[in-house]
Amino acid sequence: MTDLPLQPSEQPAREPVFQVRGLAKVYGAGEAAVTALAGVDLDFQPGELIVLLGASGSGKSTLLNILGGLDLPTEGSVRYQGWDLGGAGEADLTRYRRDCVGFVFQFYNLIPSLTARENVALITELASAPMPPEEALGHVGLAARLDHFPAQLSGGEQQRVAIARAIAKRPQVLLCDEPTGALDVRTGITVLEAIGRLNRELGTLTVIITHNATIAAMADRVFTLSDGRITGRQTNARRAPVADLAW
Amino acid sequence: MSRLDLKLLRDLRALKSQALAVALVMACGLAMMIMARSLILSLETARDTYYRECRFAQVFANLKRAPNAVTDQLAAIPGVGAVETSIAISVTLDLPDMEAPAMGQINSLPEQGELQLNRLHLRRGRLIRGPDARGEVLVSEAFAEAHHLQPGDSLAAVLNGRKQSFRIAGTVLAPQYVFEAMPGVALPDHRSFGVIWMPYRELANALNLYGAFNQVDLTLAPGASESGVISAINNLLALYGIRTAYGRQNHASDSRLRDELRTLQVLAIGFPVVFLSVAAFMVGAVMNRQITLQRDQIAILKAFGFSNGRIGRHYLKFALVIVVLGTATGTAGGIVLGHRLVEMYHLFFRFPDLPFLLDTRAVLLAGAASAAAALIGVWGSVRTAMRLAPAQAMRPEPPASFRPSPLERTALGPHLPATLRICLRNLSRRPWRAVFTCLALALATGILIVPNTLSDGISYVLNFQWDILQRNTVIVALAEPAAPRALHDLGNLPGVTLAEPYRSSQVEFTSGSHRRLINVIGFRPESTLNRLLDAQGHLLTLPPHGLVVSAKLAEVLGVRPGEKVLLHFREGTCQEVAVPIALLSEDFAGVVAYLDLDELNRLIGEGDRISGAHLVVSGGQWREFLRTLKDLPAARGVVIKDAMRDSFRDTTAQTIGLLRTIYLIFATVVAFSIVYNSARIALSERQRELATLRVLGFTRREVAGILVGELALLTVAALPLGLLLGTGFAAGLIYNLTTEYIRLPLIITASNLAYAVLVVALASLVSGAFSCRHLNRLDLVGALKAAE
Ligand SMILES: Nc1ncnc2c1ncn2[C@@H]1O[C@H](COP(=O)(O)OP(=O)(O)OP(=O)(O)O)[C@@H](O)[C@H]1O
Ligand SMILES: [Mg+2]
Repeated sequence: MTDLPLQPSEQPAREPVFQVRGLAKVYGAGEAAVTALAGVDLDFQPGELIVLLGASGSGKSTLLNILGGLDLPTEGSVRYQGWDLGGAGEADLTRYRRDCVGFVFQFYNLIPSLTARENVALITELASAPMPPEEALGHVGLAARLDHFPAQLSGGEQQRVAIARAIAKRPQVLLCDEPTGALDVRTGITVLEAIGRLNRELGTLTVIITHNATIAAMADRVFTLSDGRITGRQTNARRAPVADLAW
Repeated sequence: MSRLDLKLLRDLRALKSQALAVALVMACGLAMMIMARSLILSLETARDTYYRECRFAQVFANLKRAPNAVTDQLAAIPGVGAVETSIAISVTLDLPDMEAPAMGQINSLPEQGELQLNRLHLRRGRLIRGPDARGEVLVSEAFAEAHHLQPGDSLAAVLNGRKQSFRIAGTVLAPQYVFEAMPGVALPDHRSFGVIWMPYRELANALNLYGAFNQVDLTLAPGASESGVISAINNLLALYGIRTAYGRQNHASDSRLRDELRTLQVLAIGFPVVFLSVAAFMVGAVMNRQITLQRDQIAILKAFGFSNGRIGRHYLKFALVIVVLGTATGTAGGIVLGHRLVEMYHLFFRFPDLPFLLDTRAVLLAGAASAAAALIGVWGSVRTAMRLAPAQAMRPEPPASFRPSPLERTALGPHLPATLRICLRNLSRRPWRAVFTCLALALATGILIVPNTLSDGISYVLNFQWDILQRNTVIVALAEPAAPRALHDLGNLPGVTLAEPYRSSQVEFTSGSHRRLINVIGFRPESTLNRLLDAQGHLLTLPPHGLVVSAKLAEVLGVRPGEKVLLHFREGTCQEVAVPIALLSEDFAGVVAYLDLDELNRLIGEGDRISGAHLVVSGGQWREFLRTLKDLPAARGVVIKDAMRDSFRDTTAQTIGLLRTIYLIFATVVAFSIVYNSARIALSERQRELATLRVLGFTRREVAGILVGELALLTVAALPLGLLLGTGFAAGLIYNLTTEYIRLPLIITASNLAYAVLVVALASLVSGAFSCRHLNRLDLVGALKAAE
């Protein structure tokens, strides 16, 4: 527990945030065993914007969940700033999620009984050096909807609240599983814009899962999974502005 | 079995602990109802059989003495059926296993033939036959048991100043002593009081009463008026110094039995109503959640052509299973409780046989009542299920909308942490659910207060009566009112440090249409052993003229201080005289009136007499004092305060101990079940929310806090409400129990309240912790997938 690195690494020089080696994940056993990931190796650097592509069932969510400390690998190692996620216990993982990771989900998962501001405050109450909820909501363009309940917000607005919630505690990592999956194109763009801008401004390592290959243009690097393996790695020379993405 | 029933079984298996929780709450109410109604049936059956077989009399009278020839005149009164005349006398008894003398009531057995009325039921040994039997007695079973007396053993009684020894021929029961206690005393003490029967001739000779009687028992002819017969008896026996004539209504044993039946009646209604209401709410909440979860299933069933009726029945069957489970458990519980109470009744009531009879109608009624309660509870949700249009039901329920809770609009609002806001808003989104949960927890708290209130009230009364009002150690009653010299004799008994005289006399009080036979007690105004207090607790001084009456008596007679009541004395010159009420006193037992000793003697007109004395005896010579007392010829009755108090404490401890256990079980069941069920429902409704919080880095403990925080808030709100409710229950019960003879004050002690709060808080806590186990199974990854 003590070696959980809470602060950004001292050497800014290219120590990866995540170092994944030989990662495999098998669900079930025997006849019913499903191999979700097999022999995944990758390094994610600080401040990068990563997009994960792949067909349904290719293992994207599984990978993200393991990076987020929600699931444990069956084989291989996953290091977060040198700290072994695979060997961590329940309490360590909870603290890891609380202090280091921001999550954005496909279905927003806001707390329905809390307003936008309170949904953010709920998380900042746990954090050590958070930004004020109002500032976080300002980053996603929702300064005017602070006191609205989720039921009073559109899908895109709810998703932006979820992003504000994820970044307000200034996490090292922002993990987004199909953040635009439940949104229409225009709304999806505003959400992606918010994510892209925050990645630049705050320098948070951001991993986005999507089915939509065009979104890949906004990333620094793109990984493609199929059948639990990384079958494609692409580095973009230049990140395309989200507004230019041809959806 | 249809596929739909298979689904029912699977649903039930998934919800088994919740269904069980509801069934248990139901069972508590039903158990009480089945117990109470079965006890009513058992007691009434046993009583009626006993009264019929042993020919329990209907009218009773006591007098000074009348020649046996008057018996025929009594029988000739129109409306009188059978007449039995006999001799009855109070005596002191000397028992080998007791240092102190006991008190006994000796009744005579007829000289010729057998008892016509109030026949004896032989338990052990044999009855006494023939007019010439000597030196033999029959003893009441309870008394014999308390002293381990067997047929063949002997006991000694002081009869007319002579101590005589008798051999016990047998032990018996008699219908007029179903409840066997010293006259005027609220609880039985079988060690210090017993009833004895002996042949008329021997008893009459010993008392110089041969050829006469002083007690009448009779039955009424069919259709006769009781009050008509009683006034005819009063007229006929006025010449012979009648003391009292009364019907079963005022018979000590019979009225005590009726009081018990009345209490059972209250229990048989009150408990099921309250518990079934809680169960109805719970089953409604479970079903509502179930139907919400199964919206899509309902839609599919409907889309495939299942009728609304079948779907409605499907969910009603679910409730029915709970009803069957609750009724079965309740019946079993009622039978167990009933048996325990029948055992406890042995302390109070003696029947030849008191078998526990299960009231099968009550079981049917219980089933019907719980079915009705369940139906009321689930009706709303089942109707929703039936009305759900398939297309609408396919879509998930629209997201819940929330508003800030009322508390947040106060000045406190901005300072509340987000987790507390979640709790408050969830509560105010479903206010009725919150109110009912809170009420159920308050109910649990409330019922815990009741038994302790009773025991606190009783011990308050004991202390008040025996420490504050009566400060003697012993009361000795003389066989006959005696000259003041007798006080001197009592004062000279070993160890006596203080002796104060009293005179008591049965007097008929008349005020307007109210008429009462009252024991008037006279003592000296300077008495220190006999004190009177007013309602404020100030000492009263006995005025030289005028009555001091207990506030209850003034109420019964409808008089106030300054007004006069007509007193008809039954002794001495038997005069009728109007006497003013001077002051009201506060006491808790019986209805008594006090007069200055000299004034009472003047009104009776027999000269300066005393009926007995209140004594203070020093501890050092206690044994010697008791030994002398046993042989004291003049004594007819002895009350030893500490022995009586101990026996009271013992009896109440046993009774209230049982009551406390029952209420403790019920309260725990309610608190545990309601918290468990609410937590499970909240968990099911908010699974996704709670899993999200876990993903976001909340620890299991923090998430548990949010889940049960609501319930903790409700429990905290329920506790003070429960204390109020419990005080109300206790006040209601005490009001119901209060008679002219026993009045309990409502005493609510801090430890009683603390006990109730502690039990409910603990039950809720354990239940909350228990339901939080399910948080371990929370599917974190699942929460990220599709919406519910
Ligand atoms: N809890 C689980 N138990 C068994 N198998 C699982 C479990 N979770 C995922 N899988 C399997 O692992 C494989 C990868 O699943 P994963 O959710 O990672 O895919 P994905 O790439 O996110 O797909 P999608 O684009 O549909 O979300 C799938 O074959 C899936 O069925
Ligand atoms: Mg996925």
